[in-house]
Amino acid sequence: MTAADGPPAVEVVDPDAGVDTRAVVVAALPVVVVAALLALVPLVVGDSRTAMGVAVGVLVAIGYGVGVNVVLGLTGQLLLCVGALGAVGGYGVALLADDRGWPVLAAVVASTTAASVLGGLFCWLSVRRSLDAIFTGIVTLAFALGVESVLLGQRTITGGEDGRRVRAVADTVLADRVGGYYALLAAVVLCLAVFRWLERSHHGWAYRALRDAPTTAALAGVDVGRHRVRAGAVGAAMVGLVGSLQALVETRIAPSTYSFTAVDVETLVVVAVGGLGRALAPVVGGVSLGLLDELWLRELGTLRLAVDGAVLLVVFLALRDGVLGALERWGRRRRAG
Amino acid sequence: MSVAVALDGAVRGLQLALLAVGMTLLFGLGGVLNLAHGAIVVLAAITVATATGALGVPLGLAAVVGIAVATLFGVLLDRTVLRPVHRRRGEARVLLSLLLTLAVALVVEGLLGWWLPTGALSIRVAGGPVDVLGVAMPRGALVAGALSLVAVGAVAWLLRGTVTGRAVRCVIEDEVGARLVGVDPGRMRTLVFALASALAGLVAVTSAMTGPVGVRDGFALTVLALVVAVVGGLGSASGALAAGLLLGVVEAASAATLGTSWTAVVLLATAAATILVRPRGLAGGRR
Repeated sequence: MTAADGPPAVEVVDPDAGVDTRAVVVAALPVVVVAALLALVPLVVGDSRTAMGVAVGVLVAIGYGVGVNVVLGLTGQLLLCVGALGAVGGYGVALLADDRGWPVLAAVVASTTAASVLGGLFCWLSVRRSLDAIFTGIVTLAFALGVESVLLGQRTITGGEDGRRVRAVADTVLADRVGGYYALLAAVVLCLAVFRWLERSHHGWAYRALRDAPTTAALAGVDVGRHRVRAGAVGAAMVGLVGSLQALVETRIAPSTYSFTAVDVETLVVVAVGGLGRALAPVVGGVSLGLLDELWLRELGTLRLAVDGAVLLVVFLALRDGVLGALERWGRRRRAG
Repeated sequence: MSVAVALDGAVRGLQLALLAVGMTLLFGLGGVLNLAHGAIVVLAAITVATATGALGVPLGLAAVVGIAVATLFGVLLDRTVLRPVHRRRGEARVLLSLLLTLAVALVVEGLLGWWLPTGALSIRVAGGPVDVLGVAMPRGALVAGALSLVAVGAVAWLLRGTVTGRAVRCVIEDEVGARLVGVDPGRMRTLVFALASALAGLVAVTSAMTGPVGVRDGFALTVLALVVAVVGGLGSASGALAAGLLLGVVEAASAATLGTSWTAVVLLATAAATILVRPRGLAGGRR
């Protein structure tokens, strides 16, 4: 991959130069704008339960998308257990807060940590055995299948196929759609901010280097293994956090909530449509797919899966850098006259 | 471990090997990890089920049609969607092949699931159980095991004993070198794609003899094939056979002792342990 078709290079703050206010503003601006716009949504459609349900779904998709964007977009490792890691977060919270009586916050932190450790472990396994980053894809896919069969099998804890209720925040403001929306929004903005920071710090340079040319990066002094594991752990933590909040806000979880087709496929579509590796890709992909869903896709039912596949085919064959990449190229051409 | 568990495991293992052989050859040859492998199995299964059910075609003919449809689909996949994949090298090639074949799998499974939401193929092999070493084995399981063994053996013979097979192995070892001695890697790849897809079609038939192959089973089949292929060593047919037998016996043993809800977990743990001990797989291929 050359510099031309990857995400554009970003300026990096020299660590010795002190805080450059302008650089911080440039880095934070997109996140702040997105946060402000998304915060307005309940003011517009807050009265409608259906609309708020869709909005919550969009936020969940964006949150998962940012996690995938860290692992696949920044470091080129294929994380195919997003749903399973989300399930670790969601069922973790249900188990700890509901069944064991932990405080909700502690349960969220613990299950997010568990997801993070697992994500880091999968990346570590493939780094450790010096297997290609593709190996992560195989290990995580196998993990996804394992989690699904355990969730279906351990009926007493998970409720099997019917799922279970999550009552931990049932009597608080979070159970209300608007309250839950803002809680999820806070998490999503946090994830976006972390992504933006990673992208623009020295980590971002290392990630770009090791994604495009791992051997060259290693020769230039980048600790490829450590960066891959760290990115895996950070991305998985985001997925676990969003998964646990999803369980609390939606108050009912089932294996289908976190299934491969419901989460992994959707997340891949969301990030790929936006433009893999670009900070705002999950937002662009998540919002546009959410709107499309409402207008048209919902009526497709089971055909939805085929549409998802077709979208992925088009993006990977023709529009490699997604909507954002296409817009950038269009903008460049216009400026060039 | 009882004889019954060992026999069940062997039958299951042969089927797993058959499932993985196509996947492993494709990866060894073209650096393509085909996530549509399970979807091709399902496509063949639904074709056979439709042919025998709605159209009343005899089973033997329907099976041939099913395998032919799978083969055709594989060749089509290689010649259309995967063209940009072959222009890339190394990790970028594998990653793009994974994403594109995943997309193809979604399209196939989405369309089939929409068309026949409860579609499934079950084949009942006539005749009662057969006594093997004092264990009454269902006749279907024995036929399925035998067919799988013959097919995997035929692939191994094809690779070792024929000129074409040697050309294929030549490409697996070194694509540029193969080109220099006059082997066209593109042709060999299409050939192996056809072979792998035909084997996927055969999996649909043999698996249906021991249990139903449903329209939603593609994902699980793909993951199983991947796991067996990785444990065996990507690119090795004999490795796939060894890994299939190992994992088949482990699966049968854990199903007999722990219950079926844990079999996937035990299977994956075994696979992970094997990979940690032998990172390049049982066959220890050089890729």
